[in-house]
Amino acid sequence: MLELRDIYLELGGKPILKKLNMKFEEGKRYTILGNNGTGKSTIANVIMGVEGYKPQSGRIYLDGQDITDLNISQRAQLGITIAFQENVRFEGIKIYDYLTLGGKIKKSLDDVKKALKIVGLNEDYTKRYVDAALSGGERKRVELASVYMLDPKYVILDEPDSGIDMMSIDTINTFINHLRERNVTVITITHREEIAIDCDYSYLICSGIVLKAGKPEEIAEYYKSMCDACDHPNEIQLIKENDAI
Amino acid sequence: MRIAPDYSKEFERLAEAYEKSGGDTSNLLDKRIASIIISGDKVIGLNNVDGVEIEAGKQEFGVWAKIRILKDKKIQMPIHLCTGFLGKEGEQRVNFEFIVEDGASVNFISHCSFPWSTKLTHKMTAIVRIGKNATMTYADAHFHSEEGGVTVISDTHAVVEENGKYKNSFELTKTRVGKLVVKMDVDLKDGAIADLESKVRGRADDDISIKESLGLNGKEAHGIAKSRIVATEKTRARIVNEAFGNAPYSKGHIECTEVTKGPDVDVATLPVLKVTNDLSELTHEASIGRINSRQLDTLMAKGMTEEEATEFIIKGMLS
Repeated sequence: MLELRDIYLELGGKPILKKLNMKFEEGKRYTILGNNGTGKSTIANVIMGVEGYKPQSGRIYLDGQDITDLNISQRAQLGITIAFQENVRFEGIKIYDYLTLGGKIKKSLDDVKKALKIVGLNEDYTKRYVDAALSGGERKRVELASVYMLDPKYVILDEPDSGIDMMSIDTINTFINHLRERNVTVITITHREEIAIDCDYSYLICSGIVLKAGKPEEIAEYYKSMCDACDHPNEIQLIKENDAI
Repeated sequence: MRIAPDYSKEFERLAEAYEKSGGDTSNLLDKRIASIIISGDKVIGLNNVDGVEIEAGKQEFGVWAKIRILKDKKIQMPIHLCTGFLGKEGEQRVNFEFIVEDGASVNFISHCSFPWSTKLTHKMTAIVRIGKNATMTYADAHFHSEEGGVTVISDTHAVVEENGKYKNSFELTKTRVGKLVVKMDVDLKDGAIADLESKVRGRADDDISIKESLGLNGKEAHGIAKSRIVATEKTRARIVNEAFGNAPYSKGHIECTEVTKGPDVDVATLPVLKVTNDLSELTHEASIGRINSRQLDTLMAKGMTEEEATEFIIKGMLS
């Protein structure tokens, strides 16, 4: 189990996450739902251990092990990974090499082809480069294929639908189903309630706290009806509610 | 190609150096492939094929060579140029003249190998004339010694006539650089195209200086000049990319990426854009400094260490 306990994080002197508590059990699918600017991607960065996102207080545990002081690479080696919202390009690196990390991942060409197929790309892509010649949608798919190749235990998908068309959302769902077959925990970060529904458990984030957590349909419904016009009027009260979770 | 008996031993050593630099020696001996082999101040091998005329001779401290591609000839196999210096110390001067006549097309693969030199100055000048509707590509790879005692001074002046195409790439990534001074300017006439690319990796106290200049002097001339530099340890790098838009509808783009790694690097880039014709269009792009942190995060999130991720990115950049 991956667990965030009392995470408090300030960036530039401004509190972003305020005593946040979350749990992610093995093999389940979670969504972290919330409007833009509520701290969702920050949670992803904190879980992953991205430089500059170490919480000022609170701890992160993976299967009982305190991983708060581990860097991003060390956490990845323990089985946590992420597909960032914005996928950077890599000049001169072929997709095959990207997916095998230049031979660090000992997998066959067939494995690479399978990973690409899962995300809707044919084997010709093995020879293409992870550079600016790929469209946003293609780059996103390559990133998902890369995640699949890692055999992770926990996967964070930060706004996986951003910058891609509706057909590709089906691809994302297919991809997630493949991960679930492998008993991978999937944490999807999104601001779209229709994506948040298809999971086991949802967290609704507002102003750096867990506003609500529970059944996906209920959370999505609440979000849809309450959050569109929200300017966080109940911030202080919400922190108290969050303490009780 | 037949190597003169007097030079067979020298060729063996040069071939060893050539292979180290990524060359395939069998190409130098293939009669179907035009080639020239220069060792120090001697031409130890030369082969011409239909459509190619290579003349060469000795000069003070080196060799001159005139390479002509005859009108409308499309040379199928790349011409191989092998330049080496087998001694530890000295000076080598090589003066090339390339003439690609109207309508001809040719690819060159050049390897300069100085793997055993501890104190060598290699001076190369090249005059390139590419005729109307002619095409020339020139891929130049250098392989120096690990002592850092090699100085390369390279000066190329190219003229590309109407609708001609010129592609030049320079690569020095596998070994120490030593000191490198590259100057290249291209004069592009109507509809001519040039694509210049340099990739250099500096280590220890290597000193890199590159100046590439695009003269967009003809209507609808297009040019691009790109530099990729990796500067580590105490490397000093100075990169100047210039483009001059002097003709209507000419377009130029210059681009410089300098990646730094190490607290003692000293790198700078200077883009120069000048337009003297209001219908010309010039752009530039530059980045200098550490590797993009999001690139590092992306790879480290897959389990690579920072060191591995950095090397992976650099390798791609210089590939």
